[in-house]
Order: sequence, then C-alpha cells, then structure tokens
Amino acid sequence: MSFDWQKVSESKQAYRRKLCALPIAEKLRLLDAIRERAVAIRAANHRQGIQVQEQPPDYGKKS
Amino acid sequence: MKIEEVIRTVNQMKADRIIANYAIGGAVGATFYLEPVSTLDVDIFIEVHAMAGSSIISLDPIFSYLREHGCKMEGEYIVISGWPVQFLPASGPLLEEALDNAVEVDVDGEPVRVLTAEYLAAIALQTGRAKDKARLLQFIEAHALDRTKFEELVKRHQLVDRWRDFQQQFLNEE
Repeated sequence: MSFDWQKVSESKQAYRRKLCALPIAEKLRLLDAIRERAVAIRAANHRQGIQVQEQPPDYGKKS
Repeated sequence: MKIEEVIRTVNQMKADRIIANYAIGGAVGATFYLEPVSTLDVDIFIEVHAMAGSSIISLDPIFSYLREHGCKMEGEYIVISGWPVQFLPASGPLLEEALDNAVEVDVDGEPVRVLTAEYLAAIALQTGRAKDKARLLQFIEAHALDRTKFEELVKRHQLVDRWRDFQQQFLNEE
C-alpha cells in the first residue's frame, strides 16, 4: 500500500485556502470553537501534570 | 465564549470614551487574513497616554469599566465573554504606526478595527518568537501580504537584518 503524498499535500493546501477564504464572521466562530477545545485539552493535561509553557510576547522591543 | 461579544464590548468602550482608539492584533488579528488557528487570548492594541505629571501609563480606567460591566480579572488578563483579553499600549514607532493605519472591517454588522496584514507581519518579525516566525511564514505562504508595503515597513523600522535572516532560514531567498 502506498500513499500519494503529493495528493495529500495538495488536499491540505486546498483546505487551508478554503479556510482562509471563509467570511470573517465564520472564521471568528471557528476561533471560538477552537479555543473551547484548546481549553478543554489544557485542563485535561493539567490534571495529568503535563504543562505547556508559552513565551509571552515582547511587543515593541528594539531590533 | 464569543469573540463577537469582545468586539461589541470594545466598541462600547470607545463610544463611552474609555479608550480613544484600538485595533485587534496578534493571532485573532491574523485570522482576518489567514486560516483560523488556535489561540488562547485576544490582543487589543490601544492608544494610551501617560497621566498628567507622570510617566506612568495606567490601564485602571479600562479595568474599572470592565469590572463594572461584569468582567473578571485573571492575572494580567481581563475576561470578556469567556475570552482572556490583553489591552496593550501601542508603544514604539512600529506599534503606534500600526494602530494609526488599522483598518475597519464589518463583522455581521459590527465594525471592528484590526491591524493590516503587513503590520501584523512586521510586528511578528520584530517580536521574533518561534510562533511569530511561524505566523510570518503563514502570511507569506498564503500570499496575504503586499510584499512592497511589507518591505517598506521592514526598512523604515530597522528590521532589515531580521528579514534577511528570516529569508535565508525559511524562504531560500536573499
């Protein structure tokens, strides 16, 4: 059995283009749903003692 | 939890003169131009001036107003309709310019100000964390940037070296 990775890659890119092109209201509703899921996953990881660190942004730092 | 409620609340704050000007940035801002990706908070850049006779910028009026309207603080965030929100003073030339050049978009009849793609990308380049580089790459791969405008920002805000390093590392460009 072999996969056509080219087709898989093209299919993923097509799906991402479709998501990009959604109306903004729809995208924001998706964000709401994605966040709810992420919060649930974090809560489950926390219960298992798994911690994810996020580096806070340093907006405005000089280059 | 609803981002549209966050937008309505911030617009009401502007109407009530709690904030003078605002624009959504960060991952939520990027969503206006890219595919939605997971994010845990909303970054809202605001125009803030130090109080008279002081060099301290205070967000207390914002937090007081939102607490009076039922919102709760969680660490450095204020939670609006389930979304942790950070109000970030637009400090520094790039952020100030980004806020001035923000665009207004209609979301189901509610106007919202958001940073443009080029400014979001330049800020990501300046901030420089791994996730910021990933976001910049998304902007480029999605052809969501006006490259001429972006590269003008890069030059104007002394980001040329960072941009060159990024291009060499990720784009095989020079």
